Amino acid sequence: MGVFVFLPLVLPLTAWPMARLAEQHLHPRAATRLLTWVAAVMAACSTLCLGLVMVVGTAQLPGNPLPDGWSDPEVRAAVPYDEVVGKAAIPALFAVLVVCGRTLWRHGRVRRTAHRALGGLPATEVVVLPDDVPYAYALPGGLRDRVVVTTALLSCLEPAERRALFAHERAHLAARHHRFLLAVQLAARANPFLRPLRTAVSYTAERWADEEAARTVGSRRTVARAIGKAALVSRGTPVPTLAGFAAPGPVPRRVTALLGPAPLVRNWPSVFTTVGLAAWGAAAGTAVSAMSSANSAVTMFFILYAATPL
Amino acid sequence: MTDHRQRPRRRGQGELEAQVLSALREAEGPATVGWVLDRLGGDLAYTTVITILTRLLAKGAVTRERAGRSFTWTPASDQAGLAAHKMRKVLDAESDRGAVLASFVTGLGPDDERLLRELLGRSGSEGED
Repeated sequence: MGVFVFLPLVLPLTAWPMARLAEQHLHPRAATRLLTWVAAVMAACSTLCLGLVMVVGTAQLPGNPLPDGWSDPEVRAAVPYDEVVGKAAIPALFAVLVVCGRTLWRHGRVRRTAHRALGGLPATEVVVLPDDVPYAYALPGGLRDRVVVTTALLSCLEPAERRALFAHERAHLAARHHRFLLAVQLAARANPFLRPLRTAVSYTAERWADEEAARTVGSRRTVARAIGKAALVSRGTPVPTLAGFAAPGPVPRRVTALLGPAPLVRNWPSVFTTVGLAAWGAAAGTAVSAMSSANSAVTMFFILYAATPL
Repeated sequence: MTDHRQRPRRRGQGELEAQVLSALREAEGPATVGWVLDRLGGDLAYTTVITILTRLLAKGAVTRERAGRSFTWTPASDQAGLAAHKMRKVLDAESDRGAVLASFVTGLGPDDERLLRELLGRSGSEGED
């Protein structure tokens, strides 16, 4: 099989240009779904590939619990540089499992403790907390989904802007955005090359909720103002870096997008546009990555099956 | 909002704060340190209770009033305030907050504030036209 065995480990790089183009040109809903699926498939393929390489690499170590036949020369011939790569794959796979497990555990814990913190309050959908730190977020799960917002944030918004804020958070809950965010987070942990997809999806999910909010309150400008005011009041301490070199952050980009025209809903762009080309290119990359991983898995399975002493 | 993050402390400190606060909430009106100490029982030192009350004061969870040579303490928070306090603790413990909870806005970069004010100013003046 040669070096193609390692293809799923590096193919996530093909998703970078697509993440850029999708977040700029696709409708945020389509972009979120597409990028999340791409990230999930590529992460699964990459982890599978790591697992297979590890099996071959480990089988030759003395004292391992795997069948001796798995370290036959024919098996090792299937993986190039099997000694080095196989041994390197052991800690790598271990690290992937540990960080993914930790991410899942942390996700569950934060949601549980956050729900517990609200335990003494009436079970309303919107919870207003008296706090001088301005924040707002959607809290899924528990007995019911909740929108948590502080008095400090509400006090700086006008009634229409508050409606926009609630519509935004409800959109997060209704579309189950936390699942997309968790999926891309796990993917980014499984293969660091997928990190740009995580950043892109957390941006497109916000844009998706912004667009929904704009539809609900019937004014893009109101949503833009709500975001802008909320960001300015909760900006915290600005990071003194080289000003002028920094690209605009997600908040100004969201506001700019809302002040512009509504994005078109089109699920798959034509191949003959730049966006279409990038999207289809990355989709093809994902498909190749998936097939190459599946191919590696099946081949490896048969080799190992043939080499197993019965 | 990392400035609220607490340094890792000796175990049981948060637990003690919760105990002192719930003892205060059971009091009818302002309570003295001695009252809290009696209420909690155990082998707590007088100074420990004062330390914990002072910390709760800094967090805005209790208020105090001078009564003669000492203070009397009152829980500042009602149920919602208590929830707000707990929620802050959850959020502050989470260094990478955006990782779990999709918050309405994220932090602003160095140039973002100026850019945002420009955008909002433009949108505001257009809105008035």
